[in-house]
Amino acid sequence: MLIKNRFVKLFLLSLLVFSCNELTTENKTPKNYLLEQLTPEETGIDFSNLLKEDENHSIINYIYFYNGSGLCAGDINNDGLSDLYFVSNQGDNKLYLNKGNLKFEDITKSANVNSNSDWNTGATMVDINNDGLLDIYLCSVSGILDFKGNNELFINNGDGTFTEKAKEYGLDFSGYSTQSYFFDYDKDDDLDVYIVNHAVHTNLSYGPASQRHNRADLVGDVLLKNDNGKFVDVSEEANIFGGPNGYGLSASIADFNNDGWDDIYVCNDFHEDDYYYLNNQDGTFTESLSDAFSTISRFSMGSDAADINGDGFVDLITLDMLPDQEKVIKQTEGDDAMYNMQKQLKKLGYRDQISRNMLQINNKGDYFTETASFNNIEDTDWSWGPLFADFDNDGYQDLFICNGIIRRPNDLDFRKYVSSTFKKYGSHEGLKWLYKSIDKMPTGESSNRIFKGNNSKFEDKTGQWIADTPSFSNGGIYIDLDLDGDLDIVTNNLNGKAEIFKNKTNKSKNYLTLTFNYKGNNKEGLGTKAILYSNGTSQFKQLYKSRGFLSAGDGKLYFGLADNSVDSLHIIWPNNKLQKITTVDINKNLKIDYQDSATPYSYPNLKANTIFKKETLIDYTHIEDTYDDFFHERLIPYRVSIQGPAVAIADIDNNGFEDIFIGNTSGKEAKLFMNNGMSFNEKEVADIKKDLLFEDNVATFFDADGDKDLDLYVGSGIELIRRKAFENDRLYINNNNTFEKSTSKIPDNLNNTSSVVAYDYDQDGDQDLFVGNLSNPDHFGLNPTSYILVNDGQGNFTKDQTFSLNIKVSSATWRDINNDGVKDLLVSSEWDSPKIYINNTGSLNPIEIPEHLNGLWQTITTYDIDADGDEDILLGNWGENTRFNNVSTEIPLRMYNLDFDSNGTLETILAYKIGDNFYPVNSKDELASQMNIISKRFVDYKDFSLRPIEEVLTPQALKKATINEVQTLTSGYLENNNGTFNTFIAFKDQLQLAPINSFDEVTINNEKGLVVSGNSNKVGTYHGAYLALKGVFLKTNEDFEQLSNYGIEPFNGQVKQTGLIKMKNKDIFVVITNNEELKTYTSN
Amino acid sequence: MIFKVKHTLSILIVFVFFSCQEKNTPITITPQQFHETVDQLTKVMIHDVFSPPVASRIYVYPNIAAYEVISYNNQTYNSLTNQLNDFEQLPDITLKKNTNTPLAALIAYMEVSKELVFSREKLLVYTDSLYNHWSKTNLKEFNDAKLFGEQVANHVKNWMHKDKYIETRNMPVHNILTDDPFKWVPTPPAFMAGIEPHWNKIRPLILDSTNQFKPKAPPTPSLDKSSEFYKELMEVYAIGNLIREEGNDSEKLNIAKFWDCNPYVSVNKGHFMFAEKKITPGAHWIGICKIACQDAKKDFESTIYAYTKTSIAINDAFISCWDEKYRSNLVRPETLINNHIDNTWLPLLQTPPFPEYTSGHSVVSGAASEVLTTIFGDHFAFDDTTELPYGLGVRQFTSFRNAAQEAAISRFYGGIHYMSAVEFGLEQGKKIGHFVNDNISFLSK
Repeated sequence: MLIKNRFVKLFLLSLLVFSCNELTTENKTPKNYLLEQLTPEETGIDFSNLLKEDENHSIINYIYFYNGSGLCAGDINNDGLSDLYFVSNQGDNKLYLNKGNLKFEDITKSANVNSNSDWNTGATMVDINNDGLLDIYLCSVSGILDFKGNNELFINNGDGTFTEKAKEYGLDFSGYSTQSYFFDYDKDDDLDVYIVNHAVHTNLSYGPASQRHNRADLVGDVLLKNDNGKFVDVSEEANIFGGPNGYGLSASIADFNNDGWDDIYVCNDFHEDDYYYLNNQDGTFTESLSDAFSTISRFSMGSDAADINGDGFVDLITLDMLPDQEKVIKQTEGDDAMYNMQKQLKKLGYRDQISRNMLQINNKGDYFTETASFNNIEDTDWSWGPLFADFDNDGYQDLFICNGIIRRPNDLDFRKYVSSTFKKYGSHEGLKWLYKSIDKMPTGESSNRIFKGNNSKFEDKTGQWIADTPSFSNGGIYIDLDLDGDLDIVTNNLNGKAEIFKNKTNKSKNYLTLTFNYKGNNKEGLGTKAILYSNGTSQFKQLYKSRGFLSAGDGKLYFGLADNSVDSLHIIWPNNKLQKITTVDINKNLKIDYQDSATPYSYPNLKANTIFKKETLIDYTHIEDTYDDFFHERLIPYRVSIQGPAVAIADIDNNGFEDIFIGNTSGKEAKLFMNNGMSFNEKEVADIKKDLLFEDNVATFFDADGDKDLDLYVGSGIELIRRKAFENDRLYINNNNTFEKSTSKIPDNLNNTSSVVAYDYDQDGDQDLFVGNLSNPDHFGLNPTSYILVNDGQGNFTKDQTFSLNIKVSSATWRDINNDGVKDLLVSSEWDSPKIYINNTGSLNPIEIPEHLNGLWQTITTYDIDADGDEDILLGNWGENTRFNNVSTEIPLRMYNLDFDSNGTLETILAYKIGDNFYPVNSKDELASQMNIISKRFVDYKDFSLRPIEEVLTPQALKKATINEVQTLTSGYLENNNGTFNTFIAFKDQLQLAPINSFDEVTINNEKGLVVSGNSNKVGTYHGAYLALKGVFLKTNEDFEQLSNYGIEPFNGQVKQTGLIKMKNKDIFVVITNNEELKTYTSN
Repeated sequence: MIFKVKHTLSILIVFVFFSCQEKNTPITITPQQFHETVDQLTKVMIHDVFSPPVASRIYVYPNIAAYEVISYNNQTYNSLTNQLNDFEQLPDITLKKNTNTPLAALIAYMEVSKELVFSREKLLVYTDSLYNHWSKTNLKEFNDAKLFGEQVANHVKNWMHKDKYIETRNMPVHNILTDDPFKWVPTPPAFMAGIEPHWNKIRPLILDSTNQFKPKAPPTPSLDKSSEFYKELMEVYAIGNLIREEGNDSEKLNIAKFWDCNPYVSVNKGHFMFAEKKITPGAHWIGICKIACQDAKKDFESTIYAYTKTSIAINDAFISCWDEKYRSNLVRPETLINNHIDNTWLPLLQTPPFPEYTSGHSVVSGAASEVLTTIFGDHFAFDDTTELPYGLGVRQFTSFRNAAQEAAISRFYGGIHYMSAVEFGLEQGKKIGHFVNDNISFLSK
């Protein structure tokens, strides 16, 4: 879809050029959208957030000048219809009374709801004084430029007029406020408020991350506790961060961990991490981002929280600004430019962040799995506000996104233009000039997007459900304005009319709307949860008002029911009492009163009765060295130097218990741990210790010399400072339980070794080896040779000259796939298809497998995954949750390899396909960093953008280049069909979320299965990191579970291998991860 | 539009040219034309944002080409072939009678320049209009000079391309992942990777090796309060604070700003960051050379001689300095002060993206000033107007050495160098200047 989308845009662009007329005619026939835009004439809403820019007020001197403003909704006159309040940054705010039938009346003049502050941002309606009338709370920015004022509270007088009384309530906060979030964090039945404030760049911007523990006036977010109607700042005692880098742009309130207490997720722009505050249930919070989230947005803007897959846990989306049009991608600064800066920021204590939307799926309240790329929603351009809601009332949550920025400040040509011209002026004159130049920034006009959900994957419906018309929408809400049971959408647009979209689902589907009448000073029942059971499924929602960006909905929960009725409704009130309603009338707005008879709701203790418990039995940490492939081969598609640690598990001393060898990176010692059945004890081996400079990629124990004990082969990777002497493979011979390094027993192998597997393939009574190589460490583009080493029976190995394989081998295994009692050779590879060789007593013959299986395969094994009694071939690929997720036979990913600039160094250049053309993955600056000629060939970024690869590298050069392709990134299996393997079947979605590195056979709870592990930190900042495979226990293709259900912590790193080792009284489960400590779990 | 007009114009010109009788007005080339051409190159270099070492290379080769033209069969000036490293004898060139040597020199300069910049188009616009003008004035004289100039330019280009510049483009990025608190790390706000970590692999022009004038090691880095290094660190901190107190009228502030010459200054305004482009230290001294030539009313040949000698010294000064920078790989004061003394402290100038020791500006100023002194004499007072186009004022100097001294200390005032880097850097530069003076024979005896 990602690629398709780009294609459509490109196609449209060319249409525009070649047939302007046709397109115009087509535009004239109105499409039948699900959400139809109404005109100001139809609605009476004629509101625009008009910006007044001048020399002293612009994007030049205020970073958030283009962030726009929000709106909020609520029934201010209790006539059953929700009214709308629009916020204007600089102009007059407007209050519209809903007169029914989507007609509105502007009552601003009489209502007295205009702000005395200079720059308004977000707003929300709450009944602050519990008089049954909704009041309006408005946020403002003051203290920057000449902006004065404070946040304001308009108290509803009940007669259509309001009186500003923020000071009286202690809500007259003055600072850089963006939006307020009312909730009851301490469960005293009144509403407290979390106010998100933003930061601006200062001298401290690049200070250490620990600054967030300080409190910066105006900037730091605040938590205000409602103390009998007076709000007091409890931020510090509640452990709320308030540092100078709190670039907060939104928050999402929800009970994320399902313990009955409300938590907070805060989106921070720029390099400050987002904050994930878990409620400690005692008036304090614990910031827990690192434990629960592996990947987060860099420029986090709006957010929304809702259960989108019906599992009863709240999921989360955060928006960023990754463009989806090829032209814009190449003309704006992207994450590719962040590689060095990110390394520095990491040293300062900031998390790695990725500039794209993140869809965080909640795993039982414990941790989140990020799946935006899988859902094709990672790149929706300059996006502000996301909203999860069921727009077609089919019972599944959909997604709407507000989009667009007036001007793109990250346009690279603009930046270059400014850079070369700014110097002419002194600092003050320069700023004046800069202001006059802002029109040279290209527009960031972008359509709002809408995606249809089905509990498992989103589908883009932009252009079908809603017009694909570019605009600048910032704040937005969903709301049933005309009480017809479907959700209309209202957006607040910058320099354009507010948009009202009427939902035309109407009564074609069943629905149910809920409002609550709770107790105390939280009559509206903010925080109330509703679980709706219908037709064997359930929907879960929690009531809050502020959502998306700068905006807040009315206090209703909206459920779509498709054609079904409601079996029962469970209401969990803010005091965690459960009220069950078994007879539910549908297709109406149901008001539910709190009943004292409600019983305490017991949240399930998910951690009870897990099989495994963490227990450190092996003290080992793998620490990656500082070698960085991107520093040496700048256009390498991904790092190949972080393959370790090498692992070999076998019973060396014949005591009946398996021992474990774990390699390390160059400069760190490998370790051998002996297992006595009760514990693991390190055994020092002088020759292994001596070889600490080697990077250990892979290892295997096998009897090399036929003396009935196990020897050790270690395959080496890339050494820290590239000394070839330390990049050779090694064979250690076991002499009375000590290992001595052999000389000249094995041929030199200076390649980046990826696999070593032993087997007597020629059936002559000794162990032979397959040695697989992933890459040539000097030139990624050159394929290394992998080979079979034939044992002469004395432990001397020579290459089998009849076998040759020149591909990037990633892993290999010997398995008998044709039941002839002799093991066959299975090889996985990158940029090629898997290779299956039938072993005919030493003669290896490749068999046919389906076409178009060139992938980035990481691992291969056999297992009866379809439970039909024969072994299938399982293949781990990169998966479908990456920036390249839409690769297929028709739109492959290409790698061109040649010395394109004839300077003696080979370049590998990746290109993706859009329409008929391939375009480079790398930016102009990245290509130029390796090839000076690119700077001369394309002076401006707009010269470079939309240039197919032929034009970038010249057709002559391309003709000479070698080309490799990737046609699929899907993980799956080759089905054993009576001994043939001609069908490739994809794994289920949950196994496509990150690269699969290993399938390890285990028996858990007397059930046989595979632990599936993987993830990748090998990719550059264009990708970020792929860490969404948290560990799966796979029994069959249909039957699998998250490993965390068994008590194993989610895998947050790049796992190399897992395994179950038997001890005297227990089993231990071992997780071996690159650049992490080894983790062990025991089960009795 | 502009282009269209130009096209029409050139068509017109061609038309006019063919319809008129051939003219034979002689073409005269003034020293001022040469200055303008150098300025044009500087402009394009600023646009392309070349780093200081790369800029020094771009200045020197076009000058050498121009110099080889004027010294060809010349009584006063010696060829640099067989004097500079690997610079071989020019091929035999048959000169047409009365070849306009200054014109050929200017053409040679421009032809080599085009090879060196990214925005070739910008130079082409300039050279094409000149070529057009000259061919209109006197086609034969222009063609003869162009033939000569191009032959010399090609010889220089062939030699230039073997200086390992191209090879160093693909060498590894400077590895910054270090736990040693005294090793250089990228600095705010842009955190750029260290530039040109392999510049010591570039062939020097006159030095016998890149480490020929390796400076004395800086004081051993230490945070021990009694150590020499710590004292120097605190001096940087203190002088920055003092200048801030003195405010905008501070002479030291003016000095620091005047000599900033950092092409990488990132301006963080509103939602975006961009580079505020400036000239490089090398370019500033090329500017001083221009002023001296103009003040001393140097003729065309001696103007080229002055530029060439100065740019050779600057080129080798950068190689020598960069060799030391990535050898000692010393941390910038800003990093240490932020980490250990005051996390809000900012240097007055933005820290440029490469290791601290020695100060590039000091080395270059030392080298350039010594060379200029031999050409124009000591006590050559001048008004330095080089920075006028960049919004800065004029400073007056009593001599080149006086200017060099101030340029060097400006780095200390600016908070980007310790005193040792300034003192030892200036010394290192002077030695290079002397070496250039003593080992290249420009003038025939």
